[in-house]
This record gives sequence, C-alpha cells and structure tokens, in this order.
Amino acid sequence: MKTISLVPALSFILLVLAQVMVFNHLHILGGINPMLYLLFFFVYRFESNQTVLIVLAFLLGFSIDFLSQSGGAHAIATLTIGFLRPLIIRYAFGVTMETPQSYFSDTRTLNKLIYLLLLVLLHHGLYFTLVYFSWEAHFLISKNTLLTSIFSLILIGITLSFYPNKK
Amino acid sequence: MQRILNALLQFRNPILYFFLLGLAISFAYNRSPFHEYNIEKYGFFFSSKLYAVRDGISQYFKLRQVNQQLLEENERLKVDELISSEIPLYPDALKKPKRFPFTVKKAHVLKNSFQNQRNYLTIDIGSIDGVEPEMGVISNSGIVGVVHSVTDHYANVISILHQDLKINVRVTKSPAFGSLVWSRKKPQEFRVEDVVSNANIKIGDTLITGGMSSYFPLGIPVGKITKLDKIEGGGYYSINAELFDDPSQIYYVYVLENIDFQELQSLQKKLPQ
Repeated sequence: MKTISLVPALSFILLVLAQVMVFNHLHILGGINPMLYLLFFFVYRFESNQTVLIVLAFLLGFSIDFLSQSGGAHAIATLTIGFLRPLIIRYAFGVTMETPQSYFSDTRTLNKLIYLLLLVLLHHGLYFTLVYFSWEAHFLISKNTLLTSIFSLILIGITLSFYPNKK
Repeated sequence: MQRILNALLQFRNPILYFFLLGLAISFAYNRSPFHEYNIEKYGFFFSSKLYAVRDGISQYFKLRQVNQQLLEENERLKVDELISSEIPLYPDALKKPKRFPFTVKKAHVLKNSFQNQRNYLTIDIGSIDGVEPEMGVISNSGIVGVVHSVTDHYANVISILHQDLKINVRVTKSPAFGSLVWSRKKPQEFRVEDVVSNANIKIGDTLITGGMSSYFPLGIPVGKITKLDKIEGGGYYSINAELFDDPSQIYYVYVLENIDFQELQSLQKKLPQ
C-alpha cells in the first residue's frame, strides 16, 4: 500500500488555512475573494486513486465551509470538481495521447492552460450558482464567476510556479 | 451477490460522489436547527481561534495607521479641551460665546534633548504646515515649549527645560500669578517665581497656564506645588513645583497657533518703552 505523499498532505492543510485566514478576506475591487485552494487539484497526481480524491475533495470543501461559516457551497463545488477531474483531464490533454502522470510532468503549456481554465471556471460557476441559487441572479453569477476566476487563475498560476517541480 | 458487489465496485466513484453530494446538500439546506447550531458551535470555536491569530497579526501592522487616526482625533478634541478648561474658572463663560483665538496642529518629535542647560526639540512640521516662530507647543498633559526657528518641513522648539524660558502660570484656586522656571536639576523639578506672599496658595495646588502670554491659552494644567516657603522680608513666595508630564518622554506634541498674534504684537509696540 502506497503511503500518502508529503506534498499533497501538507498542501491540503496549508491551503485550507491560507484560504480561510487570508484569501477569504481580501475583498479585491469590493468583494472578490480568489480561491487558492483549487491548487490541490494540481498537486494531487493524475495517476493517484480517484476514489480517494473524491473523499479528499469533499473534505477540502467541507473544511473551508466549516471554518468560514458558509453554507455548503464550497463542499458541493469542490466535490463535483473532484468527481469530474478525470473528464477534465481527458478533455484538456487529449484522449489519444497518453495522459500525463501529474500536472507538473507535462510540458504542453496550452493543454495545461485549458486544464486550469476548465477547472477554475467550472468550480466558480458551480460555486456562485449555489451561493445565489436563484435564476434572477444569473447576471450576478456570471459576473462574479468571471471576475473571481481571473484573480484565482492569476493567484494559482503564480503559486504553481513556486511548487517543487518534480516529475 | 457477486454481480452486485462487482457493480458496486465498478461504479464506486459515482456512488461515492452522489453519496457525498447528498451529504453536502443536506448540510447546506436541510440542517435541523439543533444540528446547525451544534456544528456551527464547533466551527465557530475553531474559526474564532484562527481569526484571533489573524487579528493579532493584522492589528500589529495596523498600529501605525491607528496611531495616526488617534492623533487626528486628538487634534480635533484638543481645541475643545483647551476651550473647556476655562469653564471651571469662570462659570459665567458658559453663558456667553467667547472667541477662542487658538488652533492646533499635531506634530511628531524627532529629537528631544534634556541633558543641557538650554534644551531644544525638533518637530516634523514646518513653515509649509503653517508653523511660525513664537508659537506655543503643548503635549497631551502639559507644556512643551515655544517654537524658536522654522524651516520648510521642520521646526526647532525651545524646550520648557531651558534656563531662560519663563512661562506665566497661576493656581486654579487663586488668580495670583507667577513665572514657571526650570530648576536645572531633574526634568520634572521646577520653581515658580514672583508670586506675592499675600496670595492664598498651599502645597498640592494645581498650576495652570495664566493666559497672559500670547503663546498659551488660559487653563492648561501644568503641574502641582510641592514646596512652599515665604521669603523673609521679600514679600514673595519661594515655590517648588513638579510637572505632571515628564518633558523628556514626549513623542507627540501639538503646536498652538494664535490667530491674534500679530494683532497683540502691534498693540505691544504702541506702548511707551
């Protein structure tokens, strides 16, 4: 049985803390809080167990909900992303090519960007839909999704470049 | 049975997903008030610990800003305090509106000497901020000195710890006045000169500014009388006093601008010398 590797485990804890203590209080341009914790889906290797990822994704979203007293939107959005990740990977990196072992081992920048974009947009779209949960708020949902996605993408992009770049 | 197990294993991810999704949704929308309360109680316990740490850190970095806010608030309140300090001396002052010719500017002390016989302070506002020579300078609880020279951004202040600086003072209970002079020993030890011996004063009386100079308004508390002697045949008291505030421990001061200063000066010049 494989032991849990150190980087994802540490990342999980640090990301929850960073999100709850720092990034949920940034309020850029009036109310945009970038979501750094999606970084977990990059740190968790593509080849690792999918069932474990679903559980971890749920726990990740749930701990953020728990610590920031937000309904359950983080948990649902993150869980769904965790469940749909194989699909996103297949879409972003292609079916014909052999899928890479982890995000860092791949060298195709465009595919990586598509993966990043899909993941963040899907998560944010779902998250804001759940937060507002009303058809009248569709403009607000799309506006928030787009703006927050921009900041999340920048933040995740910057942080990714600091990660230990092992294959 | 085997088939069911196989199917379960094969579709374990969707099953797990929908199970957890149901759990999350139930947490989000169908929580009973009791469970909601209990879960939030624990959540709040942890998050409040986390926020306390975050708050402690962010408060430390906000200190400078908060300090600035407090100073600005004090600057506004200082004028009111100076105006109101006259009221207990003249209860009638409440009834009729009176002109108050002083405005207040806050300043930060950059340098403060107190070991010489003639001491000076340097403050961080100058002629650009409207500071001119011969303006009074006070701290939050007492007198600091008088502005001596001014550059664009800085000003030199003659400290109250200066052997030639005399400040007009009186006690709260009696209108008898005298001059406050530094004893040249410790920063808080002062003498009060020229108080006539028939004045009704005693040890422990509070000294306030007399309002006879154009530097300071009437009624700023300065210190209290610690020793009182009648000089034989002189007709004057020998008074020792102690300041409320240690002039060597001052970091923020307020410069008093007397709007009527020029007017008073020109009036003085008309007197026969």
